[in-house]
Amino acid sequence: MIEVRQLTKRYGPHTVVNDLSFCVKPGRVTGFLGPNGSGKTTTARMILGLTEPDAGIATINGRTYRQLRRPLCEIGALINAGAVIPGKTAIDHLRWLAAANGIKRQRADEVLGMVGLEAAAGRKIGGFSLGMKQRLGIAAALIGDPPALIFDEPINGLDPEGIRWIRTFMQDLAAQGRTVLVSSHLMSEMALTAADLVVIGQGRLIAAESVEAFTARADSSVRLRSPQLEEIAVALAVEGASLWRNGDALEIVGFSIEQIGALCARVNAIVYELSPQRASLEEAFMQLTAKVCEYVPTQPNSRLPTQREAAA
Amino acid sequence: MSQTLAMEWQKLRPFGKTSRTVALTIGLAVSVSAIVAAAMASSASRMTLAERASFDSIGISLQGVNAAVLAITAFGVLCMTREYSTGMIAMTFLAQPRRLRVLGAKLLTHATVAAIAGVGACLAAFAVGQALLGAEGLGNGWSSAQLPGALSGGVVYLVLLCAWGVALGGLLRTSAAAITWMASLLVVAPVIVQILPPTVVHRIERWLPSQIGSGAMSAHADPHLFTPWVGLAVLGGYVVLTLVAAAWRMARTDP
Repeated sequence: MIEVRQLTKRYGPHTVVNDLSFCVKPGRVTGFLGPNGSGKTTTARMILGLTEPDAGIATINGRTYRQLRRPLCEIGALINAGAVIPGKTAIDHLRWLAAANGIKRQRADEVLGMVGLEAAAGRKIGGFSLGMKQRLGIAAALIGDPPALIFDEPINGLDPEGIRWIRTFMQDLAAQGRTVLVSSHLMSEMALTAADLVVIGQGRLIAAESVEAFTARADSSVRLRSPQLEEIAVALAVEGASLWRNGDALEIVGFSIEQIGALCARVNAIVYELSPQRASLEEAFMQLTAKVCEYVPTQPNSRLPTQREAAA
Repeated sequence: MSQTLAMEWQKLRPFGKTSRTVALTIGLAVSVSAIVAAAMASSASRMTLAERASFDSIGISLQGVNAAVLAITAFGVLCMTREYSTGMIAMTFLAQPRRLRVLGAKLLTHATVAAIAGVGACLAAFAVGQALLGAEGLGNGWSSAQLPGALSGGVVYLVLLCAWGVALGGLLRTSAAAITWMASLLVVAPVIVQILPPTVVHRIERWLPSQIGSGAMSAHADPHLFTPWVGLAVLGGYVVLTLVAAAWRMARTDP
């Protein structure tokens, strides 16, 4: 179990992580979501004792990272797969890690096999593709057979086959009862991989709950098609619904399908379609983080004022 | 601590690369000593009797050690900067979060390699130098009472400079900066000091690492330099100061 309590980190005037608290449970993949620059990596580094927090504490099974005697056997981490000495061979890289925590030498060969790199054991890491480096990084995380794992952006730069491999691999690790925390800025990927979510924006906690609960938070709309859209729109607006036109249909927020159906009957409108539109994890994330996004690009194709508006 | 040592020792493996460093150190020492000794031997016929009497057979034979220090210092520097520049130092700190132990283990393992290389370099350079000088009757070093002191002085000098490299690498974190500093201190500083007026030179010279090294490996006492072991203690002081700064930076600032 990984526990983070009131963690805060400042760099100069910037508060990168702000009073962050959450808890990662064993047996499930927990997605750590946030836009770029939201403090995911800094949080991971604080859990791993690489960055000293200004306030708060992060513990692994009740102890801070620096209190762990054989840390690689308690928690494995993939933080930057490229951070390896290119002249070393894959097996030598794993052997020094094994030696560092008194892990038996054969374990290096075992973990290489687990990530499918046994054929590349004697090759220099400098010649590895990004996908191979990610696999080697995962092998390194598993060297001490740890009950907890942290993967920081493990699928960055991977091809679809590699992404699918990592996804099932992480789910298998969780199914073995391990605690698995995976950070990513790709919501769609987390929807497929994670069972629980920790969502942050600008270093603050936005949500810590199951994927279902998080998705349910987003406003779900109802889609309505009818030859009498105008009449229905007026009636709904009078009732206080927020709605907008989407092609030949109307999108309505804040009313249930039942309420809308009853209202259509009241105004004697013909209805062709009345369907629920479930928000995706992506939309839920966008809605919840919109207010706290740090780097919002200015709209490149924002509408220029029309001639009449400009004249007025 | 034993696991941290095992980690750093394992990083030096496979020994192919490490033994190349040892071979390079010995090779540099032998070849430079051979050149200097050969040059001296060729001018031996023009030497006066007084010059022959005061000839520093040991010091000349060990001249190559001054070149070997460059290789052994770079070896020390790179053990730190290689990890900081690639980011692999983060993996090292994941395996051993107590960072000062990592510094200590790197220091011990690299000093061990430097000692092996140092013994080899000093003995080989001395043997080659004596052989070349002996042809002209200048190879009286083997029987000298100063020989054990000069040889062990040379080895300690090499080990201290390797340790200084580790400390400077840990402090500066980039290979370019650390190696530039080391080369400036070992190669450029002695040249610049020679330009100064003699009275100033005599006061400054003795503090230079290269002069401390030469003093430690010479059979003749130079009144303007520290005595061999005092000089090496001064050099040890430099190393300790740099190590304290490196330890402070390693512990305080994140990789």
